[in-house]
Amino acid sequence: MSDLAIHTQSLAKFFGKTRAVDGLDLRVPRGSVYGFLGRNGAGKTTTVKTLLGLLRPTAGSAQVLGYDIRRDLIAILGRTGFVPENKTLFDSLTPAQLVRFNRGYFPNWSDELAARYAELFEIPMHVRFGKLSLGNKTKVCHLLALCQGAELLVLDEPSVGLDPVITDLLLRVLVEDHVSEGRTVFLSSHQLAEVERIADWVGIIENGKILLETRLEDIRQNYRLIRAAAETAPSVSSPHLVAAKRLENFWSYLVARDAEDFAAMLRAKGMTILEILPVSLGEVFLGLTRKEVPCISGKPGTIPAPA
Amino acid sequence: MYLWKTWHDSRTRVVVYILAALSVGLLSGLDVVAWANWHTLWLTLERPIYRNNWDFYGDLTFDLLRWQVIGYGQVAALLAGLSLGASGVGREYGAGTMHFVLTRPRARRSFVFTDWMTGLTAMVIVVGALAYGVLPFLWLAHAQGPGNILIGLPSLWALGAAIFGLASFTTLVAGSAPKGLVLSVAGVLTYFFLPTALDEWWHMDTLIKAQDWTLQILARDSYYFHWSVTAFWLAVAASFLGASLLWIKFREV
Repeated sequence: MSDLAIHTQSLAKFFGKTRAVDGLDLRVPRGSVYGFLGRNGAGKTTTVKTLLGLLRPTAGSAQVLGYDIRRDLIAILGRTGFVPENKTLFDSLTPAQLVRFNRGYFPNWSDELAARYAELFEIPMHVRFGKLSLGNKTKVCHLLALCQGAELLVLDEPSVGLDPVITDLLLRVLVEDHVSEGRTVFLSSHQLAEVERIADWVGIIENGKILLETRLEDIRQNYRLIRAAAETAPSVSSPHLVAAKRLENFWSYLVARDAEDFAAMLRAKGMTILEILPVSLGEVFLGLTRKEVPCISGKPGTIPAPA
Repeated sequence: MYLWKTWHDSRTRVVVYILAALSVGLLSGLDVVAWANWHTLWLTLERPIYRNNWDFYGDLTFDLLRWQVIGYGQVAALLAGLSLGASGVGREYGAGTMHFVLTRPRARRSFVFTDWMTGLTAMVIVVGALAYGVLPFLWLAHAQGPGNILIGLPSLWALGAAIFGLASFTTLVAGSAPKGLVLSVAGVLTYFFLPTALDEWWHMDTLIKAQDWTLQILARDSYYFHWSVTAFWLAVAASFLGASLLWIKFREV
């Protein structure tokens, strides 16, 4: 059995000339909470849909829970709980009826869990889905996915419409009830704070390509932001340089490790080091994906001197 | 599961259709018996041979009832086929729920089969209800048994299945019930009027001959089972089923 819950190799999905997913290599370890981050249109939802067979890949390959997405889709779907980006289910059914509908598809379905989550999330179980608020619709989607006994939960924008209390509750449930039992959570989201709170791995996608895939702990321990000043910036090169940006005579360098060595190199090239700071996931995300600054997203190592 | 959901969504409509079909059957039966009675009385005034001629009265009632079943039956098959077909799995695209349906661990074809199973069962019951509504009047009029009326039903069912298949397929292709319904109505109208137009304007009568052959099941005076035409309509229905299975297999969400 593969150690990876999700493994893609050069996965691509094109819509005409639009390359929504373009050679994606993803490695999601089993038993992890994996935060899949990206800006709007980066390719997150297309990736999720491709992994679950809603879209056919244009090229490349992918395995989910060891099963090939082209050949073994039914096996994948039977082991995967999915909360889609748009929280739309059958308007004519109540949550209780949706539970009845859904349970027949999943042999490991737990009615006990369904009752527990219905109470915990305060879901009105006998009101038609179409009449529910967005928050309650999101809760129902989660209830259906969480009670399947799934080995993998794929959650696309899981906290849409949820208030902070329920969001907190949901994140706790994910960690305490699911990850602790060795299941994998694949969390596609814009909410960096949520991801930072529960994820142990993160992948950042931009233009359909993975820019960064690492342990969150690695970011906390090794990633540093180096602020430096100089009249003109020298050309710098390092395999650990993730991103760089300039604001007048000040430069910020985001490095993945060996920040002191990198700072020493900058000093040797005549720059004044102002500070070396630990960074948050948000800063890494912005450093990699912000368009208006010189950025070497996806190709760490060398940044030419800004003109 | 999906069968239950399909039944849950369509049960009210199907019950209404059945009651409507039964009512039409009963009312038309009542109308036929009354008219046959009046007509026989009128003939009796002119020619006494018709007095107490129960065979004539029974045969007249039977013919009229059969016409009613074929006449209303084709309308019921058309309406039920279109309506039930357009409420198939294709409408889940428009409702935004297709991603939910297609991420259940079942082959995509199973959702189409479920649709067809429930839709065709409902259509058969609705069209049948119309015929069952008139049957009591055969007994009232001392007419012959219902065999020659019921023998027309399988052909109507086959025609209804083809219309259901058309509506189901167009809904799947269009991704919404209203659009699918419009497309299928356009298809039916084209089928009915294109051959006539070709014949009238360009004297091309091949299509109209073919159309006449396919619609002979609706002729009021044919008292036998049109197995070849019935087989033709079943083949049309099967081809729509095959097209729907292919479409749902390759369509992306």
